Formats: sequence, C-alpha cells, structure tokens
Amino acid sequence: MSSVSKRRGTRWALVAMILGAIVMVYPYAFMIGSSLKTRKEFAEARSSLIPPRYQPAEVLAHLHGEDSARDWPGADWPVYQNYVDAIRYGQVDRYLANSFIYAVLITAAQLFFNVLAAYAFARMHFAGRDLLFTLLLSTMMVPPAVLLVPNFMVVRDLGLVDTLWGILLPGFAGAFGVFLLRQAFLNIPAELEQAARIDGCGSWGILLNVILPLSKPALITLGLFTFMGSWNMFEWPLVVLSNQDYYPLTVGLSFFRAETSSDWPRIFAASVMGAAPLIALFLLAQRYLVGGISLSGMKT
Amino acid sequence: MQKLLPYLYIAPAFVVTIVFSFVSMGISLWASFYHYDAFAGAAAFAGLDNYRRALFADDSYFWLSLRNTAFYVAMSVVGVVITALPLALLCQRAERFQALFRTLYFLPSITPGVVLALVFYHLFGVWGQLLDNAWTALPALAILGIWSGAGYNMVIFLAGLTEIPRHFYEAAEIDGANRWQQFRHVTIPLLRNTLVFVSVMTIIGSFQVFTSVYIMTQGGPERSTEVIAYTIFVNAFAIAGQMGYASALAWLLFAVVFVFVFIQMRVFQSRRIYDE
Repeated sequence: MSSVSKRRGTRWALVAMILGAIVMVYPYAFMIGSSLKTRKEFAEARSSLIPPRYQPAEVLAHLHGEDSARDWPGADWPVYQNYVDAIRYGQVDRYLANSFIYAVLITAAQLFFNVLAAYAFARMHFAGRDLLFTLLLSTMMVPPAVLLVPNFMVVRDLGLVDTLWGILLPGFAGAFGVFLLRQAFLNIPAELEQAARIDGCGSWGILLNVILPLSKPALITLGLFTFMGSWNMFEWPLVVLSNQDYYPLTVGLSFFRAETSSDWPRIFAASVMGAAPLIALFLLAQRYLVGGISLSGMKT
Repeated sequence: MQKLLPYLYIAPAFVVTIVFSFVSMGISLWASFYHYDAFAGAAAFAGLDNYRRALFADDSYFWLSLRNTAFYVAMSVVGVVITALPLALLCQRAERFQALFRTLYFLPSITPGVVLALVFYHLFGVWGQLLDNAWTALPALAILGIWSGAGYNMVIFLAGLTEIPRHFYEAAEIDGANRWQQFRHVTIPLLRNTLVFVSVMTIIGSFQVFTSVYIMTQGGPERSTEVIAYTIFVNAFAIAGQMGYASALAWLLFAVVFVFVFIQMRVFQSRRIYDE
C-alpha cells in the first residue's frame, strides 16, 4: 500500500477517534458544567455546558457594567458554591471519607490474604492442593448479582447488618486475586527461592524478600482493580447499610438525590467529587490497569 | 506444624470466598423452600411454592423481567461489539495519539455507575424524554451500558489485535487482498477468541444490570425496564417477608446465567494457555 493512502487512512482514523472522544467526554462536560450552575440556571438552561452567567457574552456585558445574567438575583454565586453546599448540607465529605476507608481496608485485606493463599498454592505442597484451588476458582462461576440476596442472608445470620464488617467482609479475599497472584508467583524461577533458602530464609523470608518484590506489577494491578471496584460498589452497601453515617459515596449520592429531589447542581457537584479521585488515580497508574484488563475482563 | 502451614496460609482467603459464594448459595437454596422474612427469619415451609409463584403466578414479573433483561443483553452485546471493535481498529491507526484516546475512552470504566446514571438521567431528558417512554427507556439504558463499556472492550480488542502477527497481513497484501478482505479473512478469524471473550463477558455483565435501573427508571415506565436484578432487589428488600421468594428468583437467575458462565470458564482457561 502506498504511504500516501496510509497517511490519509491515519488522518481519517484520527478524525473518527476525535468525534468518538467528544461523545465520551461530553457527559463529563455536562456534569461539570451543571455542577457550576445555580438551580435557576439548571432549570432554564439544562443543556448548556457553560452556566449562563459565565457565557462569554454575559461576562463581557458584566465587565462593561451592562445588564447580564451575572446580576440575576441569587445568581451571583461563587463558581464553587455547590461544592461547598454539598459538603456543608449533604455531608459529602463524610461519604468520601467512608468510601476511602472502605476501599483502603478492602484493598489491604485482599492483598494480604490473597498473597498468603496464592503463595501456598504456587509454592507449597500439601494434600488436596489442586482440589482446593479448583474449588476456589469455581466460586467465580456465581455472578455478584446472583449473590446479593444469599450474601445478605449470611451477613444477617452473622449479625453484621449495618456494620463496617458487614460491608467489608465479603470483599476481604477473592478467587480472581488468588488466581492472578498465583500466576505471577509461578513465573518466578524456583532457583531464586532455593538460593534464598540456602541463605537461611524461611517461607516468610522468601515471601517478603524474593516473591513479593518480583511480583510488583501483579500486586499493583490487583490493588488498583480492588480499590476501584470497592470505591464504585453500590448494590452491596445499599442493602447492608441503613445508617446514613456509614454510607459510601455511591449510596450517599443516590440517597442525596432522593433527599434533595430538585437540587441537581449540588448533586452533580457531589458526583464530580466522587468521580475525581478515581480518575486521578487512573491517570497516575493507567499502565498497570491497561495491562491487567485483557487478563481479567472484570468490571464491577 | 510445618504440615499445617499451607492450610493456615490459604484459610482466610478460602473461607471468605467459599462462605460468600457456595455457602450463601446453599443457605438461599434452603430459604427458597420457605416463606422467609429478611429480618425475622424463616417461617413456614413452602416447598416449591416460591418457584411456582415465580414461574407460573399471574402476578409474577419473572418472565417479564427476564424478557426485558434478554433484550437489554442483546442490545448491549451487539452494541459493544460493533462499537468497540471498530474503535480498536481506528485506535490502532491513531499511532502516537493512541494512549490519549485510550485514556479518554476508558473514563466511564473508572467512574462510579451511580454518577454515570445521574448524568445520563438528564442527558436522556434533554434529548427527548427517552426515559418516559416504554418503548425507548430500555434502549436508552442499553445506550448507557454500551457507551460505558465501549472503551474498556476497545482496550481488550487492542490487546487482541496486537497479538496478530504482522506477517499475516503482509502475506495477504502480497496476495492482493484489499483492506476489507484483510479484515474479513485475517483479523476476524484470528480475533475469534477475543470476540468470544468480549461477548461472553458483556452478556454476563449486562445480565446483572442494576444501578442504572435503580437510579434512572425504578423499573418503569410500565415495567418496561424491570430487569431481573432489580426484581430480585425489590422483592428481597422493598417488600417485607419475601426473602424466600427472592432466593428462588436468585436461583432462577443463576440457572439462566450459568450457561454463559460455563462458556466463560472455558474461554478463560483457553485464554490462559494462549497468554503463556
């Protein structure tokens, strides 16, 4: 193929991808734009991305001392007013803190328990190992939506409804994590382990000094997936929790919506605050995620 | 002690995983044979009443919600494949902008579903009350699903595309194959594993759709978006004393999804071998 037609093909591909990118980004622009509007602006100009009082024409008119939307009664808010109100009246700061605590605890527990199990499955010999591993893997056959009611019954039987443990416990370990880490551990040459053993390392020493440092990418991938999954979880905390003070951001948002039925700009301010941390994390660590996706195919 | 060590290592992960899958499924199987309240516990033995009610009673929404779910799943699978695959092909040609596009297209996958549902609730309103019409509400939900899944699956397709050795295309070019013929006879056959993987994962994922329904439509209008996960949720947690019935529904959902899960397990295993 000639290089000219190839370059033209690339250009068309770029145009198509840019159009697609607009489709992907537009809802975010809508969300951020709406979060800056007053309720009046949102009701009257729902589809505009820039709040009416900040449209270029209005800003110019305001600067020239002419009548402008910036002078509407009650419209002369700071841009960030909805964010302040979402925290002040909607306790979004508390929901964010809850989400963060849950995500950190679940991620830490997943990594710790899954590493232990994966290490045993990858490197130790014991009776029933393969059978137990198969059994563990087969738990992946039951999808989360099917498990909602059954798991709720277990948590209720354990007396953990509306407690921290009730939300966290089911997420403390996962077959997928054990599987992923076991694969990574199996790829580490056994000679390294033997060398460490000769140097006097026990199984803990080997795990800490040989296995874990060499499995960093897998650990980071699992950690990120778990963190994001826990930050985004909705259905489970929705049924387990009734105490509003324990809500993670996702449940808080849906509750917030029911509570302040018409104050959408404030809801979107809360939504931006709920989405931003993960997007930041993603931008920092995306190579680990993108690498992990084709393996996992998991999305909560 | 040394003999017990491995069991100690696997115990926490193993117990948690098994309890919150097989054990809980066992308990709910038992509960599905009882008239059962979420908070009071089991009451009277019901035999197969809960199943009979779900499958045959006039006031049962099981079949309706299964049909709605099936439509949603069908729209999602077709939609995801016909957006994500072309996007991957385009993205592959975008050369040095590839990483940028991948990031932008990936955004929905890392945004809480609740946030997306709240935003699209308004976008669908702005675009013509799509959620108020029994004919358009379910397709609108599917559009949200496709929109949010496209980038994620594009990345999977991209990974699949880069695994195809270049010399296949070079050979096809020498044989005079045009771009379409190359796509049809090289890309598609060699991407078959990825296609199956993406389709099955999308089927299983969209079978469980809940958040967008809960936030945007609550099953309406006229129960046109009442999907199975939402029906289970409502029966278990919004109506008192229905836990046994909801358990029966969960088991019925499991029976339906299991077919696809089974395929997934096969694909998952074959992919593993493929990767190594």
